[in-house]
Amino acid sequence: MSLWVDKYRPTSLAKLDYHKEQANHLKSLVQCGDFPHLLVYGPSGAGKKTRIMCLLRELYGAGVEKLRIEHQSIVAPSKKKIEINAIASNYHLEVNPSDAGNSDRVVIQELIKTVAQSQQIQSSTQREFKVVLLTEVDRLTKDAQHVLRRTMEKYMGTCRLILCCNSTSKVISPIRSRCLAVRVPLPSTEEVCSVMMSVCKKEGLILPPELAKRIAEKSGRNLRKALLMCEACRVQQYPFSADQDIPETDWEVYLRETANAIVNQQSPQRLLEVRARLYELLTHCIPAEIIMKGLVCELLSNCDGHLKPEVAQMAAYYEHRLQLGSKAIYHLEAFVAKFMTIYKQFMEDGLDNFMF
Amino acid sequence: MFASLVPNRLIRLCEWEELIMSKLSLGGKTSSGKLRSWVQPSFGEIFGGSGLNTLPSTKGFSGESKSKAQPSIAEVGGKKQRKRKGEPQTSNPEPGVFSSRRGSQDNQDEPWVDVHAPQTQAELAVHKKKVEEVESWLKVHLDLKSSKKGGALLLLTGPSGCGKTATVHVLSKDACCHIQEWTNPTTAEYRTDDSFRESFNPASRFNIFHSSSQTAAFQEFLLRANKYNRLQMSGDDEAQERKIILVEDFPNQFYRQPGCLHDILRRFVRTGRCPLVFIVSDSLSGDTSSRLLFPKGVQEELSIHNISFNPVAPTSMMKVLSRIATAEASKVTVNEQFVDSFQHLLAHFHVCFYLAGFVFQSAGRISVPDKAALEQLCSGSSGDIRSAVNSLQFSCFTDFSLEKSLWASKKGKSASKPSARPKGRGRSAKSTDVPEESPAIGGKDASLFLFRALGKILYCKRESCETGDVPKLPAHLSEHQRDKLLVDPELVIERSHMSGEFFNLYLHQNYLDFFSDVEDVARASEYLSDADFLTAEWTSRSTMLEYGSSVATRGLIYSNSARARAAHQSSVGFKPLHKPHWLHINKTYRENYLTAQSLFVSFCLTPISLVTELVPYLAKLSNPMRNQAQITFIQDVGHLSLRRFPGRLKLEALGDKDPGLLDLDSDHEEAGTQSTEPGIQTTLPGDTSDMPTLPNSQEPGGDLPASQPQPTTSEALLDEEDLRIEEYDSD
Repeated sequence: MSLWVDKYRPTSLAKLDYHKEQANHLKSLVQCGDFPHLLVYGPSGAGKKTRIMCLLRELYGAGVEKLRIEHQSIVAPSKKKIEINAIASNYHLEVNPSDAGNSDRVVIQELIKTVAQSQQIQSSTQREFKVVLLTEVDRLTKDAQHVLRRTMEKYMGTCRLILCCNSTSKVISPIRSRCLAVRVPLPSTEEVCSVMMSVCKKEGLILPPELAKRIAEKSGRNLRKALLMCEACRVQQYPFSADQDIPETDWEVYLRETANAIVNQQSPQRLLEVRARLYELLTHCIPAEIIMKGLVCELLSNCDGHLKPEVAQMAAYYEHRLQLGSKAIYHLEAFVAKFMTIYKQFMEDGLDNFMF
Repeated sequence: MFASLVPNRLIRLCEWEELIMSKLSLGGKTSSGKLRSWVQPSFGEIFGGSGLNTLPSTKGFSGESKSKAQPSIAEVGGKKQRKRKGEPQTSNPEPGVFSSRRGSQDNQDEPWVDVHAPQTQAELAVHKKKVEEVESWLKVHLDLKSSKKGGALLLLTGPSGCGKTATVHVLSKDACCHIQEWTNPTTAEYRTDDSFRESFNPASRFNIFHSSSQTAAFQEFLLRANKYNRLQMSGDDEAQERKIILVEDFPNQFYRQPGCLHDILRRFVRTGRCPLVFIVSDSLSGDTSSRLLFPKGVQEELSIHNISFNPVAPTSMMKVLSRIATAEASKVTVNEQFVDSFQHLLAHFHVCFYLAGFVFQSAGRISVPDKAALEQLCSGSSGDIRSAVNSLQFSCFTDFSLEKSLWASKKGKSASKPSARPKGRGRSAKSTDVPEESPAIGGKDASLFLFRALGKILYCKRESCETGDVPKLPAHLSEHQRDKLLVDPELVIERSHMSGEFFNLYLHQNYLDFFSDVEDVARASEYLSDADFLTAEWTSRSTMLEYGSSVATRGLIYSNSARARAAHQSSVGFKPLHKPHWLHINKTYRENYLTAQSLFVSFCLTPISLVTELVPYLAKLSNPMRNQAQITFIQDVGHLSLRRFPGRLKLEALGDKDPGLLDLDSDHEEAGTQSTEPGIQTTLPGDTSDMPTLPNSQEPGGDLPASQPQPTTSEALLDEEDLRIEEYDSD
């Protein structure tokens, strides 16, 4: 039993549920058997990967669905050994080079070279190129991106690159200009609802439209999240009721409680507790950026409108430092402490005004 | 007995004197004879009793035994002359005078640490409780020797010069048992040593240097020391049969393979009959020899009793120093008459100019150094009594040149002498800057244990200044007014032997306890954030590290407005300090992150959506199609215990002796940058939680002022937090 997300993932461009026009474009793109390098971007959960896999299937047939996991180990020039997992079929290779941290440059160089240098054996029956799918390109270092640019030109004959990322803002422009950029926007709430309805129908469940709508809204139109939520709802309670609780992830609840703790009391002791909670979140693999973002959202919803610009500005300030600095906790804690002061000041002022 | 090690400073002094001698080009022989007496420590007491010690390096001394009581000058002098340098003085035309001269010179040259080695418990500079602890252990294990099977092991640790060895020697004397000490043989001696059969075997001559030979010798030493008693000489009383084996000097092999030592010790524990005492000096530069040689596990397994010494407290050190000073001063009376009788001879033998200098010096200088000077020595030696005594002796020489004019006026006839003496010239140049340098004479690199260094920053002592002294800040800035700081943060960091980055981590872990106002905290945390930000760029990091730590420490000190005034500083009280969590947290984070990716690679998701969406929701689903590792991981990471206060964060108390070694993987820690951190020490095996937390045997009970109370409250603290957090969790 696999997850609904995987079970009902469309496998061909024709079967996609939304953005059908774009699907048609893609279909005609590969009709002639070739395509330029692609840069697929869009928010998380919009269906980028689904689209890419459909495209590959269109190109190579069902053979791309036979996936295997390859453990590649690459030796960097500095004799450092890099282990990286790749997912491959006979026709393509999927790699997340940013797994290698700041050695991603080497990964791109070596991996693409090996793929590109090996010609397809039976080029008569197959395409004469292989596809390398790189995910999270926006997390690559600048070095790696420049290497990528060279590689793209050099091995154009034997391989095509599909780059996948959330935002193009962190992709250098030489790469952007060498690729055909395809943006995959989030599905609308209605589209999310209809996908969920159809999934539930296939599962033989009845999903009340109200619940579907609530889930779609709660998921932020992230289809993957919506389907996971839906499945979690199913586990929690069936038959569905329109007003049932939609399960949230533990870390989200925990983060909200942390934010509440900050708002409830402002003292060094409380900060110490908050720090412990932040640590706890970090050990549960929640990245510091996400913590920061979640915290800001929760705090903003808790505080007065007068404070919001200041809080947001502070958050941006510390988020910036978080990105540049090496130890996230300093910046997270500084943000929390700063918020505490502002909030406390505001409350005291409010109290004073109230008194007079 | 402090003399097991000849302090560098004394050697340097010797060299210097040798230089002068060669300049004068006279008395070469005397110099060599004299040098020997400087360098050779008197091991008489140690080896005198060790009939079994077959090591040739000790043979030179083995017959020699020093008199127990405070030796009178004539006694010591005469003896030393016979033993050590009977031969070089052939050019002496008046033997009678000379021998007595050398008598006093010898006494002069003898390191005071030897001359004034403590003879009774009362003279020990070690804290009474500590001595009692050792004594009671010795008592128990010496008495039970016959009844109890197996050897008992005692491990004494502490900084160098805190009186570990002296304590053992004094106590063993009190208990009427003798000490048999292991000394590392040098390989050359080992070759000619006929007590080992291997040297007769021609084949073994070729691998005589192989590394286990010392180990084998050590093993044999233990075996023999354990098995055989000293030969009964007539006149020895029966009680002397008891003995302690002392090991201070470890064969080098053990540092490479501590396992060897442990095997030998296991055997010893089974068969041993007498207590075995190890003395290991711990240093704060992260040298973990005591941990390496005696890891916690082995200590428990072999039931090694560990007693950890503290640095000598200033008060007891003062006592010892003034005792020595008075004792030396009292010799003046003896010397003076001798000097007078000796003086007229000098005109004839210019060979004796130098020696005369010495004699006069010894006679002239010994006026008790004033209390301030002693106190300066005390503070300069940072609890190392050996170096304190040495520098006392040394500073007495400088006193001489300082007081030269005074001395000359006292003894009118010698007025011409100082100019003839090269010593005077060398010193007088120096003497001008002596006042500033005098702490430097004390010589020991003052260093701080991390615990104290942190305390200095966090407690930030201030001095209340008179209002007239400092210009006041204008009224609108008055909140920024701070009293004068008594600590120099940069100096503290430098002395803590840590990189600024680690020091900041420690500060960050602990600063919140010292703040009472959230505005201050915000300011302080911003400074910490600044510090991290400053060192972010790896290309400039090596330069910026210092600034970073400066910003962090000064920022913390400044922003603690509750402690801005010296008058209001007393209220904080003792707070336990803890080791930073961050490194551990960061490591776990990265490990989990990687594990998640490798376990769920088949989902083809980006890591972020994997850990923030898939894994947490998988935890909500009851999906059986997972393998065991995945299920465990989901349980572990996907679930957050919402009710409970984070349980896995165990506060790890920082002991007052902990060197602040942290386990971290440099690669993990600095994944975003390509720098190698200068402060990274070699990683310990095992992760941070395996770090030995505290030297447990250390009962502080009203201990020395220099030592810190044991932060045992950390557990209780955690429980408290447990309770407090429930308040807002339960809604």
